[in-house]
Amino acid sequence: MKTMMSTATAALCALSVAGAATAQEILILAEDVPAGLNYDGPAAAIPSSQQGMVTLLEPLVGYADGETVDGVVVPDFDTFEGRLAESWTYDADTLTWTFNLRQGVTGCGGATFNADDVMYTFERAKSVSGAAPIGWFLSNVASIDGFGPEVFGDDAAAKELGDSIVKIDDYTVQIRQAEPNALLLPVLTIFGLLIFDKETMEANATEADPWSHDYVNNTNAPGFGGYCLESWAKNEQITYSSFPDYYRGAPDATRVSVRRVPQSSNRLVVLRSGQADLVTGLTPREYNSIADVDGLTVAGVTGNENLFIHMNFDVEPFDNIKLREAIAHAIPYDQIIATGYFGEATQWNGMVPSTYPGYAEVAGFSYDPEMAKSLLAEAGYPDGAGLDAFGEAFALSYVAEKESTLGPIVNVIQTALREVGIPATLDPIPQTQYGDRQLVRRDLPFAVNDQEKPIGVDAGYAIQLFFVSPENGGLNNMVNYRNADLDTMWSGARVDPDTASRDATLAQIQEMLAADVAWLPIVEYRTQWAFRDRVSGLKWYPDNSIRYTDLQISE
Amino acid sequence: MLLRYITRRMLIGVIQLFCLVIAVFFLIRLLPADPVSRLVGLNSSPEGYEQAARQLGLDRPLFEQLWIYLGLSPDIAPGLLQGSLGVSWASGSTVGSEIATFLPVTLQLITLAFILAFIISIPVGMLGALNPGKAADKGVFVYSLFAGSQPEFWWGLLFVYVFYFQLGVAPAPLGQLSPMTFPPEPVTGFMLIDTLIAGEPAKFFEALHHLMMPVITLAFILSGPIIKMVRQNMLRALQSDFVLYANLIGLPRKRVARYALRAAMGPSMTLIGILYGFMLSGAVLVESVFSLGGIGQYAIRSVLAFDYPAIQGVVLVITAISLVVYLLLDLIHAAIDPRIAY
Repeated sequence: MKTMMSTATAALCALSVAGAATAQEILILAEDVPAGLNYDGPAAAIPSSQQGMVTLLEPLVGYADGETVDGVVVPDFDTFEGRLAESWTYDADTLTWTFNLRQGVTGCGGATFNADDVMYTFERAKSVSGAAPIGWFLSNVASIDGFGPEVFGDDAAAKELGDSIVKIDDYTVQIRQAEPNALLLPVLTIFGLLIFDKETMEANATEADPWSHDYVNNTNAPGFGGYCLESWAKNEQITYSSFPDYYRGAPDATRVSVRRVPQSSNRLVVLRSGQADLVTGLTPREYNSIADVDGLTVAGVTGNENLFIHMNFDVEPFDNIKLREAIAHAIPYDQIIATGYFGEATQWNGMVPSTYPGYAEVAGFSYDPEMAKSLLAEAGYPDGAGLDAFGEAFALSYVAEKESTLGPIVNVIQTALREVGIPATLDPIPQTQYGDRQLVRRDLPFAVNDQEKPIGVDAGYAIQLFFVSPENGGLNNMVNYRNADLDTMWSGARVDPDTASRDATLAQIQEMLAADVAWLPIVEYRTQWAFRDRVSGLKWYPDNSIRYTDLQISE
Repeated sequence: MLLRYITRRMLIGVIQLFCLVIAVFFLIRLLPADPVSRLVGLNSSPEGYEQAARQLGLDRPLFEQLWIYLGLSPDIAPGLLQGSLGVSWASGSTVGSEIATFLPVTLQLITLAFILAFIISIPVGMLGALNPGKAADKGVFVYSLFAGSQPEFWWGLLFVYVFYFQLGVAPAPLGQLSPMTFPPEPVTGFMLIDTLIAGEPAKFFEALHHLMMPVITLAFILSGPIIKMVRQNMLRALQSDFVLYANLIGLPRKRVARYALRAAMGPSMTLIGILYGFMLSGAVLVESVFSLGGIGQYAIRSVLAFDYPAIQGVVLVITAISLVVYLLLDLIHAAIDPRIAY
């Protein structure tokens, strides 16, 4: 009993320091840890899962570092540099890219990287054997030959790689496109085409699961990244240890533990206490509350996160351009920036993220209630008379799970709209229901949206994703915007090999979209992180995941 | 006799579970949302969407899906009859293994909280009942009102702020163990037991330390209604004929109180049993505040993701446990009250 008591005492004494990371180990607190590590699996759309994928796997190419903004390095989207591919050439006549692969790269499992790993990764993507075929989707977006919708048919041959991706030798791979398309290199940087370690993957395949989806969903994602998976308890914690032989140099943080802490206020409290090194997913108010705390840094960049109002062209009265313009002038942009984002946002004068290649600034709307009223009268609804007839159309939907962030903003919008006579009400709905109505039914009349981040870093891709008609290649035209001229122009830009002329067409498209108020862009808000002063080296990536290999840890 | 009663109750329980499985299967499919959209994300194509729907089996007719779930088409996938709860659409793991991970966390939390609440509530409730209208009774009334007046997450956050952040006597609300501590190999899933099995007393005490705040928070909340119930039942028992008779013949006050407590325990146990069943999923806010990955958190995640197999699995398991708890309650009733016999 005495021994037991002394053990207990010793243990409890030790607990006062338990949890604090040692010199090169860091503890990160996040909303969640990966639910899966398979980008063709069920958890691929979840940001915390993507964070796990980019930690363990490497891309063929990446973006070069650009300028440093407020202590955070942002990518130079005009300059690609090699990762697992060391160099590449492009033959415009045959639409063929030749990638020279890096030699001497090894993975956590001991395998050596070569062309077989690249071939395996694309074969797996084309097998469309996972729950969500992201690898195929990205290859399709980049017009890789043979990656068309035919892979979903019954013809087994259509699922085989064929001659569009060819291994020339152990360190050379060729990829052929079906048409000129500027998106090949951008998609190769994305988490959905990161390269697997074929040897380990095949060692964990089964007859029922030849592409090792179960293994990657639940056990590990073997690749050639800077970290190896040490332990992983879904819904609780994931721990990575640094890989000393990482081809880009051993990471500074030797061990990274990511703990799931659902309550953002608890993440904040633990960071302030000094027991955590970095936290993500705080509300703007919480980031603001620690902006001046000694020993802590709040860093952020204007990356690709934004807020816009969605008005459905298939729902009356949003098909009325004057009404859409009236709403645009009724929104108090500055108040939203101050109230909702504590100044960490700027008005969004664009239709695609302002950091993306091909972005063109468009004329923004100003807050002018008198003009809003005048436009409302021109729309046929003086002082809002007659709008009550549209019933639920003015129920402003937003994702209920984001209440702490969006709540103050939708209240500002509702008040402002009511002041000019628009009978807006609030309609918080669960994320899944929101996604269903946005993506599948496309029947959300009126909504506030802050979660659209095109994974392809390109204005043309963003336009295809959101504004092109579905029958002409559009993917997620959630507001049912249809413009035949735009579709034609985009089709031309998509295969235009001349960057200057492509950008000019894309700029023209963005002006058309702004003039039609296809979306009502409100703000671009900063992607933020809070961390202790001993952490530095943070870089921003378009997937908003941190690369732990970038981090520098001081004593 | 008792065995026959238990067998009958178990059989009725199985029928109840079957009806529930059918009802839940159809009810969740009536919800106005589509799990596929969440699965593929918004950066995907119509073909990708259809592929995901196929993978989930949602392209099959509804009754075929039910057949598969029940295990009547084992050639397609194992189902309930084969002991499989299916595969989670959110994570790709089997629902059975996920529940086996999350359920012990909650059972451990609420069992300890109930034990603590029980230890607090019985003497406090008795104190109030034995001194009606006096200062002690008023104190008990204020305590029970105070404990039940605010939601548990509010108390949880307040306790975290005061005891962790301000006073530094509680550990960070980061789950069952410190993030830098390797958990023992799971055997039972109950951290306290697994640390002992692994022969790691330091981790046992660390786990106990981490459980301290969530258990106190939950016990604080639970003790409110239990105290009220014990007090009321004790008051009623103290006014009953057998207690009046016991007092009349001059039995010691302590012995009379013991008799009254036994009579008061029956209804109180009923409340405790109902609360226990409720807390299986109702402890979710405390789990959230203290970052404990329990079954409540899992249920919420599953509902928000429209993860049908996981929702069905959670409902089935929680109902089964509740049925067992109610059966145990009936047996405890029989043990406490000699008038009840099976």
